[in-house]
Amino acid sequence: MANVLLEDVSKYFGDVQAVRDVNLEIKDKEFVVLVGPSGCGKTTTLRMIAGLEEVSEGKISINGRLVNDVPPKDRNIAMVFQSYALYPHMKVYDNMAFGLKLRGIPKKDIDGRVREAGEILGLTSYLDRLPKHLSGGQRQRVALGRAIVRNPQVFLMDEPLSNLDAKLRVSMRAELQRIHRKLEATIVYVTHDQIEAMTLGQRVAVILNGELQQVENPLNVYEKPVNRFVAGFMGSPPMNFVKGTIRKKGAVYVFEAEGFSFEVPVDLGGLLAGHVDKEVVFGLRPEDIWDVPSSNWIEQKAQLEVVVDFRELMGSDTYVYVKIGKTPITGRIGAMSDPKPGSKYNLVFNLRKIHFFDPATQKAII
Amino acid sequence: MPYYLRKRIIDIIISIIMLIFLGLTLLPVGWMIFSSLKSSSDIAIGRVGLSRNLTGQVEVHWDNYVDMWKNVNFGLYLKNSLIICGSTMFLAMILSTLAAYALSRFKFPGSDLFSNTILATQMIPAIMYLIPLYIMFVKFTIMTGIPIKGTYLGLILIYSAFFVPFSIWILRGFFASIPKELEEAARIDGCSPLQVFWYIALPLAKPGIIATGIYLFLQAWDELMFAWVLTNGDTMTIPVGIRLFVGNYQNRFDLMMAAATVATIPVVVLFFMLQKHIVRGLTAGAVKG
Repeated sequence: MANVLLEDVSKYFGDVQAVRDVNLEIKDKEFVVLVGPSGCGKTTTLRMIAGLEEVSEGKISINGRLVNDVPPKDRNIAMVFQSYALYPHMKVYDNMAFGLKLRGIPKKDIDGRVREAGEILGLTSYLDRLPKHLSGGQRQRVALGRAIVRNPQVFLMDEPLSNLDAKLRVSMRAELQRIHRKLEATIVYVTHDQIEAMTLGQRVAVILNGELQQVENPLNVYEKPVNRFVAGFMGSPPMNFVKGTIRKKGAVYVFEAEGFSFEVPVDLGGLLAGHVDKEVVFGLRPEDIWDVPSSNWIEQKAQLEVVVDFRELMGSDTYVYVKIGKTPITGRIGAMSDPKPGSKYNLVFNLRKIHFFDPATQKAII
Repeated sequence: MPYYLRKRIIDIIISIIMLIFLGLTLLPVGWMIFSSLKSSSDIAIGRVGLSRNLTGQVEVHWDNYVDMWKNVNFGLYLKNSLIICGSTMFLAMILSTLAAYALSRFKFPGSDLFSNTILATQMIPAIMYLIPLYIMFVKFTIMTGIPIKGTYLGLILIYSAFFVPFSIWILRGFFASIPKELEEAARIDGCSPLQVFWYIALPLAKPGIIATGIYLFLQAWDELMFAWVLTNGDTMTIPVGIRLFVGNYQNRFDLMMAAATVATIPVVVLFFMLQKHIVRGLTAGAVKG
């Protein structure tokens, strides 16, 4: 296994810059997820590591070796494609054995490795079928198997689960984690699905417009997003944003928005010192909005009476959609509460979880 | 009218139309086989139905299929045709698969110009080439002493040159329809570009390659004009040779029809041998997306 180092890596397609000065070190045995909306450059970054795209600027090294001009076959990497990309004219066994045969590995070793991978992935009874006779989940596992048997330095995965149905995706997520532990592999995983990013990554690298926004462990990315984009991208339903102004009243900082204001907890207030009388964006995740009966435990809170727009009963909880001024707000409240559309309803904001962003730079203040 | 009934009626109408077209297509073939079993004089007088002898009994002239080999040197023409058309098919297919793959996958300076030029060559009628080629053949032999007119090689080269552009154009589409990810996966698995072609692209384009190959064989098999001008008595092909049944003093249409029937056999055999490879959906199961 090996580490992967990206230094000031950029990619141009004609005049369009798809990837912008990415600096990223993926450590040995680490599971790093590149996440971002479609077209953000995450797949391009992965393809550059694979050698399928040329690097326009910067350096990519695998295990200390500069690989900018090394063809894919000599990088000792394996890639799992979103579309699986199984060789349709080869049986499952041959699909997995293909890379090994090309490398001139003795037949006996190939057989051992393919059968071992087949066992890990539960494909033993499908080895002499053609890909077209497999289900989506099985095909995906063959694609994984083809990568595993090669025993590469780095695994590259390009949205490998996005063609599976929701249930299968959950079980494959678990399987991927198991495989990662078992193989102690370095994995670079690309996805647009923030749940996959949160659950799989030891570190998550959030990318927007070709630029790396934040690289940290998933919880930190979730709890302390560095900017408004990261905050809005991670989490479902997404974080609520309300435009307003910071006022200073005595020693307390107060956030004021249309039809709504609250006092910022004292220990957080200091961070807002530079933003008094300026516009800021207030951010709060839906799960940090509560209904009154279940909010007794919250020490620092702000209560607000709103008119319920509509609500969605999810079973495990209820999403309530309201408006503060003209800004739509989503709250994720207990399943027992059933706010009637059109009626007045009291929401409680947990002020320990608030975020503020600078509207000019989009950067996080708190 | 219920939906399923309407659909059924439409199906039946379409089937009838297709049967009519099939009949029209098979009519000359049937006529050819039928005529090959009649006597020469019955064909000449335009008699309907099989020949009858003096007592009015039906007489099937199987002996036409024996006489055709004696009357002209049909065995030689058959051999020439098989050699020339077979070699043409192989040579043209090797050249055009490589070229088509390169054009569909690689961008190189002049690649667009090259593809368009290929198409442009197809707009010039073949007969325009006849006289220049004849002169070229003769001059080439005068200058180098290497005989080319009247040889197998001469016709094989000409046929290949004619068919390569067309098959490049057809095959390019087949290669372009192979998902790129498959080739990328192969590159990562350890293939050089030539290995990608050999292990991935070629097997997946096989139905297209075989269909194109059969088409080329057919085209060469039927070609008369160039074969007539550029071969001699030792190398003439079936279309040229078959004309010898029509002579100055007698027209042996019965033998000609028998020879024509025999001449279709290799093509039919070739087609049925390769038919099972021309299956659709070979790439099924490769990618989902």
